[in-house]
Amino acid sequence: MKSVNPKGQKTLIEDVLDQGICVKCGACVGLCPYFSYRDGQVVALDACAAETWRCLQVCPRADYEGTSLEREIKDTRGDREIGPYSEIRAARAKDRKTRNGGQYGGIVSALLIRALEKGFIKSAVVTDSGNGLSPSGKLVRSPSEILECAGSRYSASGCLAALNTAISAGEDHIGVVGLPCQMEALAKTAGSTPDGEERIRRVTVRIGLFCTWALDYRKLRTYLKEKNIRGPVKKYDIPPPPSEVFRLLTDDGWSDFPLGEIRFLVQKGCSLCSDMTAEWADISVGTLEGQDDWNTVVVRTERGAEFFHEAVHAGFVEAEELPGKNLDHLEEAAANKRARAGAARQERTDQRT
Amino acid sequence: MMNEISRKRGNTLLLQGNEAIARGALEAGVHFSAGYPGNPSSEIVETLAKASKDLPLYVEWSTNEKVALEAATAASFSGCRAIASMKQNGVNVASDFLTNLTLSGTKGGIVLVSCDDPGGISSTNEEDARVFAQISDIPLLEPATPQEALDMTRWAFELSEHIQNIVMIRSVSRLSHTRSTVKTGEIFENPGIPYYDVNGPPFNTFPILLKHRKRHEKLAQAMALFEQSPFNRYDGPDAPQLLIIASGCCWNYASEAVDILGLEDQVGILKLGTIWPLPQGLLKNFLKRAERILFVEDVEPFVEDGVMSFAARLGEEIGIKTWLGKGSGHMPDTGETSPRLLLETLAGLFDLDPPTGSEVVAGPARSELQQNIPPREFGFCPGCPHRASFNAIKTALAWDNREGFVSGDIGCYSMGMWPTGFNQVKSVHAMGSGVGLASGYGKLEKFGFDQPVITVVGDSTFFHASIPALINASFNRADLFLVILDNSATAMTGFQPHPGTGKTAMGEETMIVEMEDLCSSLGAEVQIADPYEMSRTAQTIYDLLQKRGQRVLILRRKCALVQEREEGGFPFHMEVQQEKCLGEACGCGRYCARIFRCPGIFFNKEKGKAEIDQVICVGCGVCSEICPQKAIEKTPKGVHDVA
Repeated sequence: MKSVNPKGQKTLIEDVLDQGICVKCGACVGLCPYFSYRDGQVVALDACAAETWRCLQVCPRADYEGTSLEREIKDTRGDREIGPYSEIRAARAKDRKTRNGGQYGGIVSALLIRALEKGFIKSAVVTDSGNGLSPSGKLVRSPSEILECAGSRYSASGCLAALNTAISAGEDHIGVVGLPCQMEALAKTAGSTPDGEERIRRVTVRIGLFCTWALDYRKLRTYLKEKNIRGPVKKYDIPPPPSEVFRLLTDDGWSDFPLGEIRFLVQKGCSLCSDMTAEWADISVGTLEGQDDWNTVVVRTERGAEFFHEAVHAGFVEAEELPGKNLDHLEEAAANKRARAGAARQERTDQRT
Repeated sequence: MMNEISRKRGNTLLLQGNEAIARGALEAGVHFSAGYPGNPSSEIVETLAKASKDLPLYVEWSTNEKVALEAATAASFSGCRAIASMKQNGVNVASDFLTNLTLSGTKGGIVLVSCDDPGGISSTNEEDARVFAQISDIPLLEPATPQEALDMTRWAFELSEHIQNIVMIRSVSRLSHTRSTVKTGEIFENPGIPYYDVNGPPFNTFPILLKHRKRHEKLAQAMALFEQSPFNRYDGPDAPQLLIIASGCCWNYASEAVDILGLEDQVGILKLGTIWPLPQGLLKNFLKRAERILFVEDVEPFVEDGVMSFAARLGEEIGIKTWLGKGSGHMPDTGETSPRLLLETLAGLFDLDPPTGSEVVAGPARSELQQNIPPREFGFCPGCPHRASFNAIKTALAWDNREGFVSGDIGCYSMGMWPTGFNQVKSVHAMGSGVGLASGYGKLEKFGFDQPVITVVGDSTFFHASIPALINASFNRADLFLVILDNSATAMTGFQPHPGTGKTAMGEETMIVEMEDLCSSLGAEVQIADPYEMSRTAQTIYDLLQKRGQRVLILRRKCALVQEREEGGFPFHMEVQQEKCLGEACGCGRYCARIFRCPGIFFNKEKGKAEIDQVICVGCGVCSEICPQKAIEKTPKGVHDVA
């Protein structure tokens, strides 16, 4: 797709889409008729000529420097490898059903359900299971819908497209669950012109998910087809080291695949990402090494703290101290990702010059 | 009431060139007429179809031109008179049969009419079909006026019976669509009963060399007649400074130019009506009279090369000549000839100032028009299902993201190569060729080809020449995704019926050849969708793109013009809700007017908002889907029409 506008769409297409480094966050989709997310891909449909362009400003992979990124985190215990935070805990949903449906401790589902019930949020943008197609964003309004979408996909979902559509349709008090790239895109949206501030005001809470990388959904589908995996995948999992396997659950039960093979299916754009723990979120959630039904929760903003503490006080979520060993491991993993990204970025710069 | 064209008695009528050809056939007592629609030829069959209501005559639209010529030939073999008509590309299709038929010879008078389109104004090519007369060794006549079109056609049947071979007539757009007064003769109601003489010599091409020689002899017979033909005529001084040899329509331009420049005493015009074989005796006489010869003809230097070729053998008999024409650069070698071109060329040759007479009027008129009439690009009509189809194709190919493309074909939808079809069509050639190409792309995978290809044909094109290519894909197990834009009409050429419409050329009810059943029987997966439901159709196309093997998607929606004609229009009143349209502030970049491009939508620059042009909008409702602000609203038409 060739664009006629040199500033906006054209730059995004040339610098991100054509380079194959789009991470399919969906932030540029749904703002205009020109971008579309379908079946695991973000694509340009037509050449844009608009003077007002937002796509480039919100893209987490574009090197556009006009977007102001402002940390809103005031009270932090420090700005370390896992980003600024006020509190870090081991936590899990009290309700066993919520835990079983979700990934590990079911914290994301529990926080969203509680926020919905309390009326803190009216809806949430989450990622659906795809039902055999690629996962994609979905606006949900009930606990049952949240539970239907629970669980990690390990693939990008373009779910911010669903957020953009919801905002355009007039929704407010929205909770958003997304990967680190998507949290960064939201931060960029907040600083974007002409209406980023107004748009992001509709988002009440941002829940970020730890992420080492995400898979290219189409590559994954082709891979699974070659491996004769039929029917929709119900659940994905990468057990903590040293298992080195990628597992998935279908009607035929669990199947394991060597992680070494799966790494070839990772999105190219993920190699440039330095953020493992979703530093731009209000609350970040990930696994807790060695504890199958617990999560690590990183509380970052006042808003995040408010949501988390309310859920704990209400008995929806139980929280404990995060063992020091786990924090060390987390910081080490985050530092490794940051280092890998730094090297990858340097390599790209070298190639260009 | 009887059609004027079918009146038995001769009269003076205002006739179009193609109507005159049809009348000529009627006056020759033609029994059988077949053709395939294509501009500028279609009116011949249409006129004869009208006449078939009054006269004992059979007329058909055939599925393609080869079949048309074959069907017409059956009448000839059975002793009846027959005419087959088509455009220049059609002769290509028919040519395989033609080059064999001319070896076997014919019985009842049979005439092949080719209406060429110089300039390729409504064609995919510019082509001179006269070369087929040369390679088939058959007589070729080229009328200059509607009167001659009638006279030549009538005589062509006699000539055909005289030499026992098919005769070709070549018209061009300008003549086919010109109207002038024509003196008609009497219609001959041929009492002949078709009979195939099973005891006579068979119609075949063997022994080939003998038949080939025989064909040459027939051509020589024709040449003998051509030497005396009234269709060739000379006007001018006995020894002109310049001899113009003009064929067909171009004779008019040459006469006009000579008249305007007042060159009657210097320039002579030899009007040639019998083009192949060239009347060499006649030409030799005239070549002797002048040293400079200018050839004026449409498209290829057919007469020019032919005359120069035998003149080379005449040598000293005619002396050294200066040959002017396409070969010398004095006439352009592409495009349609015109009076203005002739004026310029002649003025140049005689050192005259190019005449300004017509420019005095035409020049200001042209600049006035250029200022006040906005340029128009090729575009689909408002309500055209093709716009919606290409929008869905564009979306699906973008989603697929493997640099897929459309292998196009011939019809209104060829315009899919331009912005009106979102530039989706990447190749267009001959009827059905898009499908043949697609069957080839479908076998490139073993070399690493990973781009999906959608081949798009219309319903009439599908029946014309796409089916063998589809069979080829099935037979050779090629991945092929065929989209048939079924708009229930041969729309581009004027809504002629085809095998899928349930009507014949003569207006009789007939079976509908179900393309879905046909494709299924060839092993293709067949789906049917409504192009007006763009999003859903895009998803259907996307899903089919992910599959392998032979897939056929029929996008079925009546041509908007047929819808208007048959159903009295569309159900919706469209309106851009002005408070919802954000104009330039939207960020959509005037998507509706700039990208979707239906002529019924425009961007009002003063108001800074999109609007519906209620004069142009037909109310199909499709655009209600495209606005990101949902500002384009459709409501039932009646609500607004009450006032």
